Amino acid sequence: MVGAVGRDPRTLTVPVALRYAWLVPAGFITAFLLIPIAVLIGVVADAATLTGLGDIGLWRVAGLAATQALTSVLLTLVIGIPITGLLYRCDFQGRRGLLALATVPFVLPTVVVALALRTLLGDVVPQGLGLVLIAHVYVNLAVVIRIVGARWSRVDPRTVAVARTLGASPLTAWRTVTVPALRSSIGAAAAVVFVFSFTSLGIIAVAGDGTVRTLESVIVRRTSVLLDFPGAAAAAFLQVLVVTLVLVVTVRTRSPRTVGRTWNPRPAARPRTRIGIHASAIVVGVMLIAPLATMALASVRVDGAWTITWWPELLNGRIGVGSPQGALIRSIGIAVATGILASLIGGLAAASALAHRAGRTVAGIGLLPLGVSAATLGVGTLLAFGRDPVDLRATGLLIPIAHALVAVPLVIAVAVPALTETSNQRGLVAATLGARPLRAWWTCYGPVLRVVMIAAGGLAAAVSLGEFGAASVLARADSPTVPVLIERLLGRPGDASFGVAACLSVVLMAVTLVLVGLIDRLGRQRGVPL
Amino acid sequence: MIVRLLGAVLCGASLLACTSSAPQTAEPGSTVRLLAHDSFLLSDEVLASFTAQTGIEVQVLAGGDAGSMVAGAILAAGAPTADVLFGADNTLVQKAIDARVFEPYEAMERGTITPEIADYLDTDAVTPIDYGDVCVNIDDAWFEREGITPPASLEDLTDPRYRDLLVVQDPATSSPGLAFLLATISRFGDSWPDYWTRLRENGVKVAGSWTDAYYSDFTPAGGERPLVVSYATSPPAEIVFAEGTPPARPSTSVLTDGCYRQIEYAGVLAGTENPAGARLLIDWLLSRRVQEDIPLNMFVFPARSDAQLPQVFTDFAAQVEKPEQIPADQIAMNLDEWLARWDEILGR
Repeated sequence: MVGAVGRDPRTLTVPVALRYAWLVPAGFITAFLLIPIAVLIGVVADAATLTGLGDIGLWRVAGLAATQALTSVLLTLVIGIPITGLLYRCDFQGRRGLLALATVPFVLPTVVVALALRTLLGDVVPQGLGLVLIAHVYVNLAVVIRIVGARWSRVDPRTVAVARTLGASPLTAWRTVTVPALRSSIGAAAAVVFVFSFTSLGIIAVAGDGTVRTLESVIVRRTSVLLDFPGAAAAAFLQVLVVTLVLVVTVRTRSPRTVGRTWNPRPAARPRTRIGIHASAIVVGVMLIAPLATMALASVRVDGAWTITWWPELLNGRIGVGSPQGALIRSIGIAVATGILASLIGGLAAASALAHRAGRTVAGIGLLPLGVSAATLGVGTLLAFGRDPVDLRATGLLIPIAHALVAVPLVIAVAVPALTETSNQRGLVAATLGARPLRAWWTCYGPVLRVVMIAAGGLAAAVSLGEFGAASVLARADSPTVPVLIERLLGRPGDASFGVAACLSVVLMAVTLVLVGLIDRLGRQRGVPL
Repeated sequence: MIVRLLGAVLCGASLLACTSSAPQTAEPGSTVRLLAHDSFLLSDEVLASFTAQTGIEVQVLAGGDAGSMVAGAILAAGAPTADVLFGADNTLVQKAIDARVFEPYEAMERGTITPEIADYLDTDAVTPIDYGDVCVNIDDAWFEREGITPPASLEDLTDPRYRDLLVVQDPATSSPGLAFLLATISRFGDSWPDYWTRLRENGVKVAGSWTDAYYSDFTPAGGERPLVVSYATSPPAEIVFAEGTPPARPSTSVLTDGCYRQIEYAGVLAGTENPAGARLLIDWLLSRRVQEDIPLNMFVFPARSDAQLPQVFTDFAAQVEKPEQIPADQIAMNLDEWLARWDEILGR
């Protein structure tokens, strides 16, 4: 038989190239995640780790953190899904700007976000669980919007129209048509938000009151204050266990393929709806921008008066802890490298997940870095690749590699649902018409894969821009990234330190906005809405 | 030069180890790697002076905060990721010594170190480089405005007159927070839990980090607490990092009772590839030039007794007569228990 239709006429033959594609992500994850963790375990784990696992206090922390994370997930979904609908289903002026804006909180250094939220809400919401939840919702909105949005833009709006014509109320149509189509992407987003909230650290430290704890905060306390490594290993083990469990359940319950193509959002027909949409957009915009504006305001104020003295400091570099320009150029370079690396690795993992079981396993394991703290990963990487016999530090690759690991799960979370829910009809037609397997496969999945790789690569680059934990351990002291520099400035007294840190935060926000905006634009030029 | 460049390119290309065999004497042209915490800072020209003197390049590697850095060094003990470590303080250093992180070396000019600093830890595994005192800082302007006399001792802090005025840091997440807890343990001995119970009843606020407490809760930053745990050198830092023309004097001062003295150490990492260069670097860290560069960069005091202090330090940095200290081995032994007890008292 000619062409690429498999034995079962409804399935596509997997192209040879793709059969082995899983080796690339598998190799990457083994080398830079599993080996560092194995090295770390080899050094720290002993009998005390096992006894540590029996510690009731540890399980209590895990239970409380899980409750906190579940609440964060629920709140993020309740607030995030309507915003996703607004951004992906309705067209209005400033839609793309708002979409880019929604991504910014996710990638800012968490310390900056938490500090901004505290300045903004400190009088209304005292430090503690409430503020932690708000901060988690704020930073994770982007996860829901991007993951669910990617799926929502491929739900045929006519199906909803048909349901309405047949007499369904808007709510019924939403419940019976839209929700089932979105279910698996909502599940994926929920899992990612759960894991982020469950392993949260910076936000817990700044927005919490000391009673809110996660296993991650226990790990940090045990490693860097008590120097109790077996105990830290017990907490780390429990954390990886919970995260793995959540991810396995998510992967298992993924719904079967559905047919789809991308539908552009359309402007509302009725003026009243249009007004409603614009009003909601303004509300969402204000909500997103208020904490960021607090930081911008802090960069031009001192003792209740206006000032512009700190902005020139960014250029003349008298602040002493490192050149802001240098850090910015470095951070952008690392972000670009991370974006390319993560989208390639994650894209290949997602593509092989379509192909066969080994690929699905790899895609599953690729989500694991979510549960391993960036700081732990940093130390493990250093032990494995920062000294003899393999010293990669001089190559400058360690930070992009660590950042790519942190970002690959996001790429997978975006790409796998998008690919599995793509109809293989076009591929089957191509195969019937004589296309070789790879050609048929690409005809089918290529356009979608290209879109999600650009989108997810952009997200990965943005994550890299704001990442602190791994960079703080892996960077050369004389070449800090922007978040590391911000952290250093915040660690010193004096108005100028704080002012320059605020300026840098504003620059970081602006760069992120531009980056995300550019990626969206690139997608649009290619005729693929993101 | 070309040969070295070529070597570097080949190293990069092969992605494998490219380390020369360990030289016995310090080789000009070799590199020595200094692992330091986030707050490490020296003037560029001072850093360059080491290379000018010895022909050895210095590469400063960031280790995160002091705790993470020491943790990393302990995990890599014997096969280090650098040649010299700077910045293990007295709460961390004992565990690092016990884990055989360091190779003994007695610095050439060890004799110049202020005796109280040198005597704290009797070992040649590490060399004291600088010290700083963690003290309660006072917003003088606030107290003046309210017409209240500022507190003068640790005991005063439990006085109802100062209710809801103090912010400290969580000792489990913040180095000054831990130092303050240690100061109270040193001062009150076994009855320290009672002191903290009284502090709690008097409305002490616990922040997650120094940044948090100093920039959000402390009144000069717009917060509501005019008393904050910080450093004896925070007032001069306020002047140095002020916006525009520096004020004639700082708006904050230091409660010099109940200060905890933190000493920062440097040591040659056991298993270093460049032992001779590492020793030279330790000597250099203790040289007068570096010691005199330390205050305005890291806002701590030099360990060397004959180092000249900058004017702003002699004018505004608090000189603490009787700092609190706890022997390093006792800290290493009891810290876990103290922190757990502290959690209990503060209802965490």
